[in-house]
Amino acid sequence: MKLFDALRERAAMGSEDARATMPGGASFAYVFGVVLMFLLVVEGLTGAALAAFYSPSTTDAWGSVAYLQDQVPGGWLVRGLHHHGGSAIVIVAGIHLVQTAVAGAYKKPRELVWWLGILLLLLVLAWSVTGYWLRWDQAGYYASQVELGIAAGTPVFGDLVKSMVLGGNDYGNLTLTRAYAAHVIVLPALVVLVTYFHVTIARRLGPTPVNKSASVPRWPAQSVRDAIAIAAVFAVLLGYVVSTHGVDLASPADPTSAYDARPLWPFRWLFELRVIAGGAEQFAAMAAPAIVGGFLVALPLLDRRTERASKHRKVWLGALAGLFALIGALTVASFARDSNDEQLNQRRTRAEALANRARTLAKTNGVPVTGPMDVFKTPPMWKARAMFAQRCVGCHGADSKDRKGPVIVPGHGNRAWLTQFLKTPSGDPYYGHSKLSATEAAMKPVELPPGDLGDLVEMLYAESGAPDADPAKKVRGEKVFEGACTDCHSREEGVASTSGPNLYGINSRDYYTSFIGNPKSPVHMGPDKSQMPRFDRELSIAERDLLAEYLVWLRTATDADLFKLGPL
Amino acid sequence: MAADDPDRRKFLKVTTCVLGAGAGLALVVPTLQMVASPAGTKTVSGPSEPLDLGLIDRFKIGAEPRKVEVIAPIVQDAWTAARNVVLGAAYIRRTSPDKIEALSGVCPHLGCAIGWDPGANNFLCPCHDSRFQPDGARMSGPAERGLDPLPVTVVEGRLHLTWVRYRAGTSSREPV
Repeated sequence: MKLFDALRERAAMGSEDARATMPGGASFAYVFGVVLMFLLVVEGLTGAALAAFYSPSTTDAWGSVAYLQDQVPGGWLVRGLHHHGGSAIVIVAGIHLVQTAVAGAYKKPRELVWWLGILLLLLVLAWSVTGYWLRWDQAGYYASQVELGIAAGTPVFGDLVKSMVLGGNDYGNLTLTRAYAAHVIVLPALVVLVTYFHVTIARRLGPTPVNKSASVPRWPAQSVRDAIAIAAVFAVLLGYVVSTHGVDLASPADPTSAYDARPLWPFRWLFELRVIAGGAEQFAAMAAPAIVGGFLVALPLLDRRTERASKHRKVWLGALAGLFALIGALTVASFARDSNDEQLNQRRTRAEALANRARTLAKTNGVPVTGPMDVFKTPPMWKARAMFAQRCVGCHGADSKDRKGPVIVPGHGNRAWLTQFLKTPSGDPYYGHSKLSATEAAMKPVELPPGDLGDLVEMLYAESGAPDADPAKKVRGEKVFEGACTDCHSREEGVASTSGPNLYGINSRDYYTSFIGNPKSPVHMGPDKSQMPRFDRELSIAERDLLAEYLVWLRTATDADLFKLGPL
Repeated sequence: MAADDPDRRKFLKVTTCVLGAGAGLALVVPTLQMVASPAGTKTVSGPSEPLDLGLIDRFKIGAEPRKVEVIAPIVQDAWTAARNVVLGAAYIRRTSPDKIEALSGVCPHLGCAIGWDPGANNFLCPCHDSRFQPDGARMSGPAERGLDPLPVTVVEGRLHLTWVRYRAGTSSREPV
């Protein structure tokens, strides 16, 4: 402690510094500025940590935020502190502003301090706006769309402003690098600079005394109050962040999907005002902040009399109270409107599920370098399923009105499927919708005792290369096949069948690849019996193989597995 | 000349200011020039050719508008070039075998993405609750015009669409 005191003395921080006394004594009324300084430090520290993980590009931004949020130890906490710490700055700055106004501390000679404070508030709001964009999720992306849409509506300069912010003609990499530079370099530098002047000038002038006790040194009577306030604010902030698990991250920015975008809470009053203003909304969005800002700036000029007691300033304090009450009421109304909107809440629930899906996929599969929207395509079988949906469901989909071939759904080609197929080859889910089923050439139902049928099924199942086929049953099934099927079917590699398809390797990956390539091949259905077009000219062998892999996967998949692939 | 000579002091003041301003300008001008350079330039390329949206058979006559992703084969964005970039959504509506129309999925109010509201049978922009008829006509909300039609042609049974972005927030339709 002695060393500490000695250091303070050498640094002229103790009673040696004339500015370090509190006229009228220490008070909790003076803590807000110091709390704000502390919160700025929180933002700086957490921001530096976040910047070490963040990547400002359209393809990487969302993925880097998802990574630091969901995979970096403590990342969610730091990001939560950074986000909600920003909110805390707005709240405490608001209290600081109201308190300053009530105390009449904007009056001569402190006008400059007041104006610098308002400038700081504007900078902090700009800080929060640019920070919101950086996540490049649906929420930040569409918030930026709206904000830039409003900015573009500014007479004369609108287009230039939008183009400057976008960094060109459209959303792109430069939009993010600019927002990032503004958020982490330009705005912090400006905030530090303006804070320096705000604080230095305020200190030079000394506080507006709130009581009339004797002056005391700042240390430790005021310092302990500052420390208590800081500890209390940080405890609340930390508690909030931990209890809410930080801050959300929506699914990646998607220019095609509607999203219920809302501005950050300090701007919700304007959002509500737009709704109320109806046709005059553009005006409301521009004029309202100008009126509020203008009023705050003009306050020291309007209320020029020297007395500070609030009873002499009822008009101005009343106007200020009215303004804040209005802003508060609009904010509450805006949130209430949303929470009462049933449909909106349903859309939000869906959006949240989509966000969770994107984040889970990002965590397990990584975000493709082609961009965060492609994270939805990373589950195995996603691409194959998409190709199947594009190319095959018309004729093979269970719900398709134009179905022509067998239904292909999970379980296709497994033992149960084979059994039912053999019993009713022209049944509805099999060849029932094909032209073939109505002709003489259609396959006849296989009528065998259950034991023989089971053996035959096992043999066909083994042809697919399924690893769990029973070898003994398979051997018995081969004998059944010889007796019951060889009139129409061969199972010798490469041999054209007499009338039905060659069953060599049926339902294996190679079989599917070959069949999809040319169903009318003599080893498959032959030239006349299939309506299925050949795909060897439409699809590359790799694409056909992908479909084949999917069909093999479907054999053991369930509807739940298919559902887990997510929406197309 | 004495050190406190007024002329000398004035000369020193002017010199200080000129040197300071000169150094400052020499630093600030090129910096600002660089930062401002992307403004008004085409930093993100879009497709000028019509894009193939596939066979028109996939669009059923009389069905509700069908959302399709408009995908540019290649987009250059500052230093990157990417293939198959999703530019936005278009809603395709086929009212008769020969009549097929496309509406941009970008809300003409402030540029959010609209969605089809199957319950209400119209389009909804969830940002500010603008609603549009299935044919794109404005119904309610702050949008000042209806949804923007996109040029389409049918070539050999395939739908070709030209992607155009229009200025948001105006009642007239100006391409940007």
